[in-house]
Amino acid sequence: MTADAAEPDAGTPVRDPAWPLSRSAIGLWVVEGVLGTLFWVVVVVAVLSFLPDVGPAPVLRWLLPSLLAVDAVVTIGIRPWVRYRVHRWEVTGEAVYTLTGWLTRTWTLVPISRIQTVDVTRGVLQQLFGLATVAVLTASSQGTVRVLHLEADVAQRVADDLARRAELVRDEAT
Amino acid sequence: MSHVSPQGSGHPGEERTRPDAGAGDALVPGERPRRTSPRVVLVHTATFRQARQLVPALIPVAAVVGLDDGLTTVVVLAVAVTLLSLATAALSWWRFSYADRETAVVVTRGLLARSVRTVPNDRIRGVEVEAPPLHRLVGLVRVRIDAAAGSVGTNEEELVVDGVPRAEGDRLRARLLSRRPAAAAGPGPDGAGQPAEEEITRLSARWLLYAPLVGSYLVVPVAAVGTLVRLLQELPDAVVPDLAGPEPSPQLLAVALLAALPAMALTAVVGAAVVNWRYRLVRRGGSLVAVRGLLTRRHTELEVDRIRGGTLSEGLGMRWVRAARVNALVTGLGQANRRGQLLPLGPRSEALLLLGRLVEDPGPLTGHPRAALRRRLARALTAGLLVTAGGLWAAAALGWWPLPVAGLVLTVLGVPMGIGRYRALGHCAGPRSFSVRSGWLVREQAVLQRRAVVGWQVRQSPLQRRAGLATVLACVGAGSGGYAAVDMAAADVAGFTAAASSGSWAGTLAPR
Repeated sequence: MTADAAEPDAGTPVRDPAWPLSRSAIGLWVVEGVLGTLFWVVVVVAVLSFLPDVGPAPVLRWLLPSLLAVDAVVTIGIRPWVRYRVHRWEVTGEAVYTLTGWLTRTWTLVPISRIQTVDVTRGVLQQLFGLATVAVLTASSQGTVRVLHLEADVAQRVADDLARRAELVRDEAT
Repeated sequence: MSHVSPQGSGHPGEERTRPDAGAGDALVPGERPRRTSPRVVLVHTATFRQARQLVPALIPVAAVVGLDDGLTTVVVLAVAVTLLSLATAALSWWRFSYADRETAVVVTRGLLARSVRTVPNDRIRGVEVEAPPLHRLVGLVRVRIDAAAGSVGTNEEELVVDGVPRAEGDRLRARLLSRRPAAAAGPGPDGAGQPAEEEITRLSARWLLYAPLVGSYLVVPVAAVGTLVRLLQELPDAVVPDLAGPEPSPQLLAVALLAALPAMALTAVVGAAVVNWRYRLVRRGGSLVAVRGLLTRRHTELEVDRIRGGTLSEGLGMRWVRAARVNALVTGLGQANRRGQLLPLGPRSEALLLLGRLVEDPGPLTGHPRAALRRRLARALTAGLLVTAGGLWAAAALGWWPLPVAGLVLTVLGVPMGIGRYRALGHCAGPRSFSVRSGWLVREQAVLQRRAVVGWQVRQSPLQRRAGLATVLACVGAGSGGYAAVDMAAADVAGFTAAASSGSWAGTLAPR
């Protein structure tokens, strides 16, 4: 499964974290994609029904639906799987490390000694899939690590473990 | 380490703070709630400080009553607004009190709803005493107390005690900042005339000549003219004399603009002189103290122990004359631009010296790969080329030529901009500090201690991936929260992050 992510590549700046997310994350992203698409369908239908029949409007009659179709294919059919292959996380002896994104990738590393708070959140959709997000906050507004979509019990265990270890090794945390 | 004794998380009895100050407070000395000087009511009446909030509510009222433009209306309105302002100012003075307790500062206020804020002393990062002109007239100062900015709110981190006598302001500052063990020879409660004061820099009159090339000072005259024009427009027509002359021709406008340039330069210099009047930066015990300003005298005090680095910013114009400004990056203190400003305007050499005192020089910067130049140029040219293409289409369809010409000009200007942006890029890591630099309109170099880093974020877009580049953001709990090395070679990322953070944790990033 890790085949192409771990492959040595001149373009990859740093190594990838070791662990994949829960497979349920794919289902969650698909549902999110479907909901998003439904929203846009409503918007497009509303726009098209109010469109006058003059000027550049006729172009929109086929342009908007086809854009919507492309978007639906990407967000429902492609992006969840790409994301699942990209997203990884890891807790090492000294740090929390994540990789997120699908086209643009972001690696975030925060040492356990600088952790200020650890949050576990469960959104409505996440609860349907039994998932949770662990957010690790530091003194920097930009240095927040989010591990999305872990199994809820794993997330809770990770959060407890991180909070306990942060307490032990905390230096100034700033 | 530097923290004060147990920080007894607030006293439960705060809510009882009564409006009638002082009567029978048998608490520990210094715990009695104090109020600001009643003279501040005058100042706030004159500036409509509280009454300004009521303006949105008054407009519909005025609309319903149906005012005309007569002079009497204006006078009646002015009197009414002044009375209203007096009432609100008095009310908010009456409802405001503060207390500097053993472990915390407590501020109670609120017109209808009561709000009590308690800031523990060890969360106070700086105290600023300022004296705006009206305050000076009645002998008062305003004290701003900066509390640590966590990863939360932005405006919630400042307490303002507005309108206390000068001596009380100094007492408050000295008391809040004197509990630091680092302070030499335990300075007494008197703020002025402490021992071990070392002057670092002071304003030299020549520095003011930089002002016309600094964006923010150049804005001063423009803003003044803008305000004047808006004021004129808002006055009722009856009051404004009829100025309508002949329609100005383009030539006349150009001449007027040319004539305005020296005037603008002069106002910029004057503005800089007023803002930075008798600027001095001294080290007093464990703090850095910067004082400046003619009308509003600003007094900024920062704890040396909490300084994690600094930024050197040079605007486009400032780079021509080798001028720069320096801000300190202090942990837990956001808005570095205003509150951490140590050198507002000065020669680059002076700025570098000062920066060297804040944080060890990490050495010369390493430039970024040529691929980064291609990316900068591509970005700088895209806007111009898009406008040109759109303009050509418009010209062909509508015969409208100015647009493609503007697009071409933009494209040509994009070249120096792209090159300039590329040349600003750089990073380096020294034995105890590291540095990143970027920006073109304002080029900003951040120099930080290695221990300041609380995390790393590496970003790579598909295009960066193809070009073998990546952007590295050092997350720090000071200043803007993150400082980026844009488009550095992907292969150098692991080495740089390991070299620029303290401890071994950043080794996690190294490819296995």
